[in-house]
Amino acid sequence: MSVSTRFGYLQSLRGFAALWRTNGVRVPLHPLLSLCAARTQSSVSGDLLPRTSLSSPPWSEQTSFVSAEEERSRHAAVVSTVNDRIERQDFGRLFAVVHFAARQWKVTNEDLILVENHIEAECGDRIYLEKVLLVGAEDFTLVGRPLLGKELVRVKATVIEKTESCPKIHMVFWKRHRFQKKRTIVQPQTVLRINSIELYPRLS
Amino acid sequence: MVFLTLSCWIRNRGPDRFWKVQELLKHHADLLSHFRGRKNRCYKLAVLAVRRAFVYATKSRKLKKRNMRTLWITRIAAATREHNMKYPILMHNLNKCSVQLNRRVISDIAITEPRTFLSLAKLARARQQEGFRAALGDGKEPSGVLSRVMLQ
Repeated sequence: MSVSTRFGYLQSLRGFAALWRTNGVRVPLHPLLSLCAARTQSSVSGDLLPRTSLSSPPWSEQTSFVSAEEERSRHAAVVSTVNDRIERQDFGRLFAVVHFAARQWKVTNEDLILVENHIEAECGDRIYLEKVLLVGAEDFTLVGRPLLGKELVRVKATVIEKTESCPKIHMVFWKRHRFQKKRTIVQPQTVLRINSIELYPRLS
Repeated sequence: MVFLTLSCWIRNRGPDRFWKVQELLKHHADLLSHFRGRKNRCYKLAVLAVRRAFVYATKSRKLKKRNMRTLWITRIAAATREHNMKYPILMHNLNKCSVQLNRRVISDIAITEPRTFLSLAKLARARQQEGFRAALGDGKEPSGVLSRVMLQ
């Protein structure tokens, strides 16, 4: 995979190395670049290549390499601060992205949700919405890959009403063909009220 | 024509025409009240206008889904460009991180929760850099470090 995509750039990379060498700018030496530079040392130091759309690869060569230990320490610092915040219950209002009834909803407390189908629960039943994709507060967000655990978040909701939608009219008409059909569609609807979103230390 | 007396000129049409006309005009009065010109009053014109209205409504129920999706995509693209990134990069990297948020929710987040959207953009950018390092780094730098720590 990588060899075929890099073929077109080999020519330009040689000139690239030449450009960087003549300018005397320090470059984080890429292993491939250094190979090219070693190969071209015998040839005449090249002229500056004209900068075209293919004279440099489309990805930026500035991936600063941070060592693995430093990465791990940074990530541990972030995780510990977020955990402190969660333990102290320091956040204000939480919002969550919940997957329910084949749709994703961005939800907070005291929200009303209108779902366009029938749910197997009576009016007044309390429900846990378990497929949570994302939880956010003011200072931190927890992104699930793809879902967050049930021990981490809990979203409580109540079924408020179960009604039918307004009658929608489905009509087909082809002109000059004497073809016309009319049908009214009435769909069951359910209204849910989101009571609360809780993060883990306080989950009962 | 064989009508020899006056009484035979009178044809006895259907008895319910008046009620059918009134049914259409009164039943769809809420729909017809928004129409312009004689379409909202006269039966012949109203029938055609009502039929067109219903057909347009059925067709546009499918178009609405397409239009909303393009709108969400436009909004997400605009929001990512504010963070020096592009829409395809964001979506591709979020898919690679197995974050399955749909476009409607991401556009809502971009509008109402800017900090969360910034975190998603940074996640995508980090995954992109990781991909570059894995492809270009010849395996010298340990790839997959970021994702392993992020999974905790």
